[in-house]
Amino acid sequence: MPRSPSAEVGAASATQRPAAGRSGIGRLVPRLPILGDLRLGRRLGWVIPVLIVLVAAIVGYNARAIAQQRGSALVVYTAARQRALVERYTKDVLVKVDGFQADPKDSGEAMRQPVDVLLDGGSVRAPQGGGSRVAIAPARDWRVRRKLEQDRRLIDELIRVGDRLLDGGHDDPNYAANVTRLRVLSAQLSSVSNDAVQEITQQTEASLSRLVRIEIALGLLSVLAALGLGLLLRRAGAEQAAQFRSLVNNSSDLITVLARDGTIAYQSPSVERMLGRRAADLVGITLGDLVHPDDQDDVNASLTKLVEAAPGATANFACRLQHKDGSWRHVESICTNLADDPRVNGLVLNIRDVTEQAALRTSISDLLHNLARRSQGLVDRQLELIDELERNEVDPDRLDELFRMDHLATRMRRNVENLIVLSGVDQRRRWSASVPLRDVVEAAVAEVEDYSRVQVAGVHDLTLAGQAASDVAHLLAELVENATSFSSPTTTVEVSGGPTGNGYVLEIEDHGIGMSDIELDEANRRLAEPLAADVAVSRMMGFHVVGRLAARHGIRVQLRHCWFGGVTALVLLPAALLGSEGEHPAMAPPVPAGVMVSPEALLLANATKSGWQPRAHLPLRRHAAPAPNRGGDTDAAAGAGEPVD
Amino acid sequence: MAWTRARRRWAWALAFVLAALALAVPLTVARRQEPTPPGTPVNVVLEDFKVGLDAAVVPAGTVRFQVRGQGPTRHELIVVRTDRAPEKLPLQSDGLTVNEEAPGIDLVDDVDGLDIDERQTLVLRLAPGNYVLYCNLEGHYLGGMHASLAVR
Repeated sequence: MPRSPSAEVGAASATQRPAAGRSGIGRLVPRLPILGDLRLGRRLGWVIPVLIVLVAAIVGYNARAIAQQRGSALVVYTAARQRALVERYTKDVLVKVDGFQADPKDSGEAMRQPVDVLLDGGSVRAPQGGGSRVAIAPARDWRVRRKLEQDRRLIDELIRVGDRLLDGGHDDPNYAANVTRLRVLSAQLSSVSNDAVQEITQQTEASLSRLVRIEIALGLLSVLAALGLGLLLRRAGAEQAAQFRSLVNNSSDLITVLARDGTIAYQSPSVERMLGRRAADLVGITLGDLVHPDDQDDVNASLTKLVEAAPGATANFACRLQHKDGSWRHVESICTNLADDPRVNGLVLNIRDVTEQAALRTSISDLLHNLARRSQGLVDRQLELIDELERNEVDPDRLDELFRMDHLATRMRRNVENLIVLSGVDQRRRWSASVPLRDVVEAAVAEVEDYSRVQVAGVHDLTLAGQAASDVAHLLAELVENATSFSSPTTTVEVSGGPTGNGYVLEIEDHGIGMSDIELDEANRRLAEPLAADVAVSRMMGFHVVGRLAARHGIRVQLRHCWFGGVTALVLLPAALLGSEGEHPAMAPPVPAGVMVSPEALLLANATKSGWQPRAHLPLRRHAAPAPNRGGDTDAAAGAGEPVD
Repeated sequence: MAWTRARRRWAWALAFVLAALALAVPLTVARRQEPTPPGTPVNVVLEDFKVGLDAAVVPAGTVRFQVRGQGPTRHELIVVRTDRAPEKLPLQSDGLTVNEEAPGIDLVDDVDGLDIDERQTLVLRLAPGNYVLYCNLEGHYLGGMHASLAVR
């Protein structure tokens, strides 16, 4: 089955459809934070690394200061202990020389160790005890090193003097001089040790002081960087807000926020340009006060549906809003449900003024309609002429050619009528009296060039409201022609009907190659939502014409896959358009399935009964010869359609 | 010619450097041209454990001791007027330091602790007589840190 209900219909073009919901301010507003983020990122890019470096430096210096403090304390302790060991050694030597128990050798070794560790590095017992040892790095400062080296020299000298005393004892003639020398060396060692401790302490204090100053400086820099960051953030935020305000205020579109009760909670200032009203005057009133009375139902329905939808859902609607001077402005609105967003707490409407486009569309429709009407008149006259020629022609061959001309002209006429339908102008002829549904179906079939492939079966004896007869026939003709065009010439297209709970369904089945799911969905969407006339519509005329005709009368048209291949078009005629020719539809006997009925025969038979004139001027078969290249059995049709003249 | 922002920055930086130089050069020159204090100069070197003098006799009047610590230990310099020999100064009860209040010892002046490579100038107006210069930290005097100076 067809890819579209008319030969002009091209490939599906989803891209031709306007990007509903993502135009105007609706596009701009979500992008603003992104722009802001980029600019903010560029500005803050250098501040954040600086802050990180500063913090890392502070942490590093702090850790270094703590380590240095611990190390320095240990060094000071070690140096101070060395002084005590010197005094102990001196006392041990003198006590030993006097003959008492002491161990100056051990004291001498213990006295050497701190100096060696401080000079060459090593480990010492931790002040807290517990047997643990702590490593000490070699002294690096040259002053400290020279003092420690002097310390070591004096210790060596002290031990030598001590050894002499221990060896000679009181009997040594130099005993007194050695004792004095021992005391002097001990005093000198104390002095040197004091010096070393003082020097180390001073350096430690200087180093710690330096670290503290650096940390304070880094801290101040961090504070400055943080302040700078805060200022930049504040400035960036202010710029973003100003940018947003500028965009909103200078935009030609409106941004309106509706509260839950339908009143306007916020109105962008650009409303003054569009509607001549001050934004402040609109806050608090309901949107309905501005909407054209004819559009209020649609607007209310759209908004109600949106309120009930999930948060973040969008809806589109078009309506007219009243200008302060009383005129009406055509607008299109994209509405987003942000009722759950605490910053908005309502519906956000992006409203665009399309008055000029509407006027342009109206003028194009008028132009289209006028041109189509002229063509329609010419085609009607052509059909009348052909009809007259057919009536007077007895030569079967020439009559067949006339029939073909007749069908081509009929198709031309339907195309012209399609243009009138798309123009939006409703100037159809209306019949007040009901028309037999079967007549309408057969009139539609008769408009199709391959009418002989169409089997009408199972249509009940119902009547169709006169005002819908022409449109339904047109609608069916488009669907039937589409079915015949997109199926093999050797197959048939079946038209049948059946009652439903809320109306009557006509089914048009073909045995063609069918449509893919995507194509089917697209076609159904076009049938359900016919668009205004534009270039896209001109390429997909059939679906849009059917959709528009169906919308006029509340008819639903849907395409479905056939279980045996091809496509079935379902046309649901609402009960309001239907009447009975005597019996209830469900009880009315349909024409037996499979019986081929000639459309022109039935038309001729029924036209006089209903008084309804079929839309198309049908070529009546007044001879038995079938049309060339038309499959199917046409005997019945030929017989039933025998000319009356 | 319109200056760009970068050029203006460079110009400011250059002006700052020139101003700093203009301030630093006169200060440096002025520091170098400090007037030399009057008096007979005597260079004194304090080191473990001796006192070095480059003069044993100086004229009476103002004497400018230019004291330099050579360490490694911190030292002090005490100037006393005495007729005693430098190694015969009276000691305190600890037996390690000189008793500066003992009879025959007149304390003139002193220089407190000088660490390695530290310098200090001591200007004294000395009358004729014998003087001893020594370090009175524990064990330093007895270690040999003393010297005599005659003022004529």
